[in-house]
Amino acid sequence: MYLDEFEYYAPKTADETFELAGRLGSQAKVLAGGTDLILNMKQSLLKPQCLIDINGVKEFQGLIYEAGKGAVIGAATKISELEHSAVLRDKYFALHQAARELGSTQVRAMATIGGNICNASPAAETSSPLVALGTKVVINSAAGERELPLEDFIIGNRKTALEQGELLVKFLLPEPAPQTASCYTNIGLRNAMEIDAVNMAVNLTLEADNRTVKVLRLVMGSVAPRPLVSVEVPALLVGQALNSNLIEKAAAAAAGEAQPISDIRATAEYRREAVFVLSRRVLQEAFNAAQEV
Amino acid sequence: MEGKKFSQVGRSVTRIDGPAKVKGEAIYTDDMVMARMAHGKIKRSTYAHAFIKNIDYSKALALPGVLAVITGEDAPNKWGIVPQTANEVTLAVDKVRFHGEGVAAVAAIDEETAEEALDLIEVEYEPLPVLLDPFESMKRAGEILIHENEPDNVLHQGEQLFGDPDQAFAGCKYVLEKKFYTSYVNHAFLEPHSSLAHYDPQNGQLQLWSSNQVPHYLHRQLSIVMDMPMNKIRVILPAVGGGFGGKGEASSSDFCAALLSRKTGRPVRVTYDRNEVFVTNKGRHPCHMKMKIGLDQNGYIQAVDFDNTLDGGAYAGWGMVVMFYTTSMIHLPYKVPNARARVRRVYTNKPTCGAMRGLGGVQPRYAMECLLDELAEMMGVSAYELKMKNAVESGYRSVSNLHVPHTEYKKCLQTVVENSGYLEKHGKQPFGKGIGLAGGYYISGTAYTLYLSYKPHTTVLIRVDTEGGVTVHCAAADIGQGCNTVMAQMAAEVLGVNYEDVHVVSGDTELGTFDLGSFASRVTYASGVAIKEAARQINDKLFEVAAGMLSCRAEQLEVRDRRFYSVFEPKKNIEWEKVVDVYTNTVGTLTGIGHFSPPRLKGIDLTRGERVQGANIGHSPTFGFSAQAIEVDVDVETGKVRVTKVTEAGDCGQAVNPMSVEGQVEGSIMFTLGQALYEEMHLDKDGRMMNACLHHYKVPTVMELPEMDTTIVDSYDPTAPFGVKESGEGPVQPTIPAIANAVYDAIGVRFTELPITPEKVLKALKEKQGK
Ligand SMILES: Cc1cc2nc3c(=O)[nH]c(=O)nc-3n(C[C@H](O)[C@H](O)[C@H](O)COP(=O)(O)OP(=O)(O)OC[C@H]3O[C@@H](n4cnc5c(N)ncnc54)[C@H](O)[C@@H]3O)c2cc1C
Repeated sequence: MYLDEFEYYAPKTADETFELAGRLGSQAKVLAGGTDLILNMKQSLLKPQCLIDINGVKEFQGLIYEAGKGAVIGAATKISELEHSAVLRDKYFALHQAARELGSTQVRAMATIGGNICNASPAAETSSPLVALGTKVVINSAAGERELPLEDFIIGNRKTALEQGELLVKFLLPEPAPQTASCYTNIGLRNAMEIDAVNMAVNLTLEADNRTVKVLRLVMGSVAPRPLVSVEVPALLVGQALNSNLIEKAAAAAAGEAQPISDIRATAEYRREAVFVLSRRVLQEAFNAAQEV
Repeated sequence: MEGKKFSQVGRSVTRIDGPAKVKGEAIYTDDMVMARMAHGKIKRSTYAHAFIKNIDYSKALALPGVLAVITGEDAPNKWGIVPQTANEVTLAVDKVRFHGEGVAAVAAIDEETAEEALDLIEVEYEPLPVLLDPFESMKRAGEILIHENEPDNVLHQGEQLFGDPDQAFAGCKYVLEKKFYTSYVNHAFLEPHSSLAHYDPQNGQLQLWSSNQVPHYLHRQLSIVMDMPMNKIRVILPAVGGGFGGKGEASSSDFCAALLSRKTGRPVRVTYDRNEVFVTNKGRHPCHMKMKIGLDQNGYIQAVDFDNTLDGGAYAGWGMVVMFYTTSMIHLPYKVPNARARVRRVYTNKPTCGAMRGLGGVQPRYAMECLLDELAEMMGVSAYELKMKNAVESGYRSVSNLHVPHTEYKKCLQTVVENSGYLEKHGKQPFGKGIGLAGGYYISGTAYTLYLSYKPHTTVLIRVDTEGGVTVHCAAADIGQGCNTVMAQMAAEVLGVNYEDVHVVSGDTELGTFDLGSFASRVTYASGVAIKEAARQINDKLFEVAAGMLSCRAEQLEVRDRRFYSVFEPKKNIEWEKVVDVYTNTVGTLTGIGHFSPPRLKGIDLTRGERVQGANIGHSPTFGFSAQAIEVDVDVETGKVRVTKVTEAGDCGQAVNPMSVEGQVEGSIMFTLGQALYEEMHLDKDGRMMNACLHHYKVPTVMELPEMDTTIVDSYDPTAPFGVKESGEGPVQPTIPAIANAVYDAIGVRFTELPITPEKVLKALKEKQGK
C-alpha cells in the first residue's frame, strides 16, 4: 500500500526530459497521470527508483488540428481534454467516444492518452480507435526521434517498442479522407468505471456512390494480447456495396479472428459472442455515419 | 389512540449530521490523531486452511520504529456476536480458516514502518485441504473439520414445522418447486473499519473509538477479549461512514488496537485497507435454497416448504441468527397456514458471512416472489391479483405466531401497480422489454437480545436545563442512517420545541444511556418509545410550573411552538424557556428517563401450540412493507440488463423525516440492484479473493442509476410511537425478485441464480432458441 522511496524529477522542457530519461535509464519511470503507474507501485508490482513527471512539459501537451493535414496529440494530453474537444468529435469520432468511456470523470481528469498507450493493457480504451484511425506515434530520446505506426508500437500485453531512455511524445492522426466515418463501442458489466470485456473501433471510407467500401479498418481490443487489426473484415467488405447481409458475414469473420481468453470479467465464449454483436453494430453505425458525411 | 397531528415529526428537516459531512468537516475515526499515537497493521494469512507451525516475529520487533507485535496467543478468548456460538479469536490461534485471516499485528510509530514490519514476520504453515463449497464441506467432514468441535462442518441446523404442509400440498391445485442461489456479496460501505484505542495504564481504563454500528455489543466483546470489566471500557463512535450490517459486530481492528495499546501504553489506531474490508467480509450469506409453494384452486397459499443451505464461511458470526431469519421470513407478507423449513449453516474456508441489510430476508424473498410470479402465470392471473389475494392485513398473526399489528401492504402493491402501469405493460411489451412486480417486508426491531437478558433494549435520558436546553442521551449509533435527527424530531415533538433546539448525545457507552445498537431496523421505534416516556416526565414537571405561572390547572395545558397554552384560553400562554428557567431556579436540572422493552413473543406453532426451535427469531413489535415494479431493457444480443425504472411504494408507518425515508428507499434499491446484476466476490481455488477492491468488485455506479418513483404510502401504526415502523431494510427485499420477474417478462427466461450477468442471459437465450 505504501510507496517505496523514490526520487522525483519535474523537468520543464522536452530536452531536459530526454536527458533525464537517458541518464536514469531503467531506474526511472515516466509519470504522466499516474492512474496506472501509482497503482502498480502501491501494489509493489513496480519499484522505480526515480519518477520523471512530464506534466510540466508544454511540448507534450495539447491537441492541434490543421485542416488537410490531420491532428497532432501530445502524449501528456489529458483524456478529459480529448473528451471535450470539438475537433475530435467532428473528425475522429471513434476516439471521442473512447475518451468518454475511459474510467470516470475523476480518472479522465488525471489520465493521459500517452499513459493509456504506454501502459499497453489489452483492454485499453484508446488503442483500438487510434489504430483504426491509422495513427502513428512519435518516439523521442536524447539520441533522436523515430516514428512508428501505433500497431507496431504496442507489441504485446503490457509491452511496447519503447527502448530505454525513450518517451512517447505525440500521436499523428491523418486527415480523414472524404466520406469517412469512425465509430467505437465497448462492453463491460457496468457503464462506467469498467475495464472492457471487449472493445472495438472501425474507420470506414466510402466510394463516391456512397455505398461501396473503399477503405476499412476494424480493430478489436481485449480479445488478444494487443490490438487486433482485422484482416478478414476488409477482405470481405472492401469493394463491396455494403448491406446488412454482408455486415453479418463480416461480423462472423471478426468473431472468428478474435483470440479471447477467459478471465474474471468474461469467458472466452462470451467475448467471441460479443465481438460478433459489437462488430455488426459498429460496422452498421459507421456505414450510416459515412453515408451522411 | 393519539392523533396524527405533528409539528416536528413528519417534516423533511435538514439532517443534523448533514452540513459537516457535506463540507468534509465530519471527524471519522481515521481522522483522529492523539499525542504519541502509534499505528497498527495486521499480518494476514496466505492460506485459506492451514495449521500455523510457527510465527517468528523477531526481525519485525528489531525493526526501528516497531513498538510491539502480538499474535493469537496474546488474546485467546473467543468472541462472537451470538454468545452461544462465539468462536472467533482476535488473531488466529494454531490454525487459519480463511485466506486473509489475521495471524499477527504490529504497532509502530507510523503506518509505513508497521507495513514494513509485516513483511518481516515469518509464518510457517502446514496447508490443509481447502473447502470452499458448503456441500463439499459437509461431504468431506469425515476427512477434514474446519472447527474440531463442530461435527459435519455445520454450525447449526434447524427444522421448523408449522401445521401440516404435506397434507396441505396434497390438496393443492397448483404446486411449484424450484432451486435458487444467491451470491457472495459484501456491503461495500464507504468507510473502511477503523479503530483507535487508548489504554491508560495509570487507571486501567480503555477507550475505543470505532467505526461500528453496535457500540454495546462491541463493548461486551471487548470486555471478553481484553479480560476487563465493562465499567473500565468506554466505546465511542465518531462519524461513521456506513455499516449495512458489516459493522454490526466487533472487528479484529478493534481488538488489535486495544491489545496493542495496552501493550505499548500508547494510543494505537488500526484502519483497514479496502482489501481488508473484503477479506474480513461478514457480508451476505450465499444461500442454496429449494422452495415449494402450494396454492388451492382459488389461488390461496396453503403451504410453503423451504430448504436452505447457508454458506457461512470460516466462523460463526451472526450465522445462526441469519439462518433462522431465513426461515422466519417465509411467514410474511402473505398468509401461509402451513410451513416447513429445513436449514443448515455450513462452515467453509471463506471469509465469514454475517449480517447485511435486510438480513435473512433477501434470499427467501427472491425465491418466494419469483415462485409466486410463476404460479400466477400457471393460474392465468396477474401476479398482482395473486399477491393481493394472499397479502396480510392489520392484526394478522402467522402460524408461527408473528403478529402484525398494522400493515398497508396491499396499499403498497396497489400504489406501485397504478403508478407504474404494471397491468398495462406486463406481457405486452416488445421482446427485450419487461416489467416485474415484487413485494417484501422487514422487522422494526427484535423481541430478544442476543445474549439472554430481559433488560430494556433502549433507555433514553432527557435533560433540560437553562444552559443546554434539551439534551437527549442515548447510546444509539448514527451510522449515517440519520437516527440522531429522527431522535431530535421525536423529542421536540413531545416537548413542544423545535428539533433544532435538541442536542443528541449518542454513540457513547459512557455519556449515552443503554441501547443495543443499529441493526434490525430497530432504532426509530425503540428510541421513539423511550423518548416519549422520558419527554412526558419532563412535560409533567414543567406543566405544573407553567400552570402556576398562568394561574390554571396543569391538565388544561398543552405545549407547542415553544409555548405553554391553556387549551381553553389560548390567550393564557407563556414561553417554554421562562418555565424552564423558573423550574431550574427552584428545583434544578430537569430529567426524564424512558425505556423500551419489546413485547415478548414466543415462536410457537399455533396449530399445535408447541414451541418451535429457533422460532423466537423474527418477532418484532411491528413490520415495514414495500412493493416495487421494476422495468428492464434487455439487450438480447449482448445479454446486458439495464434497469430503466423502479416504481416503489412503502409502508414505513409515519415517516418521521420523509427526506430520510426517500434516501433509505433509493439507497436500498441501488444497494440491492448491485447484488441482482453486478456484484459478486470471486475466490480462486485456493480461497484467495480475486476482486478484493472496488475496481473489480462491481458496485453499481451513477451510470446504472434508474429513474425512481417512490411513494411513502399513508400509514400510521397506532401501536407504535408516533406511528412509526422501519424504512431501511424493507425496501431492500423486493428489488432482486422484481428484477428477475422483469427479465422473465422481457425474454421469457427465469433466472434462479445471482447475479444475472450478460453472460448468463446470453447463454439462456441461446438455449431457449435451441429448443
Ligand atoms: C479507477 C480507474 C479506472 C480506469 N478505467 C479505465 C478504463 O475504463 N479504460 C482504460 O483504458 N483505462 C482505465 N484505467 C487505467 C488508466 O487510467 C489509463 O490507462 C490511463 O490512460 C493511464 O494514463 P496515465 O497518464 O495515468 O498513465 P501513468 O500511470 O502515468 O503511466 C502509465 C505507464 O505509461 C508510462 N508512460 C506514461 N506516459 C509515457 C510517455 N509519454 N512515454 C513513455 N512512457 C510513458 C508510465 O511510465 C507507466 O508505465 C483506469 C484506472 C483507474 C485507476
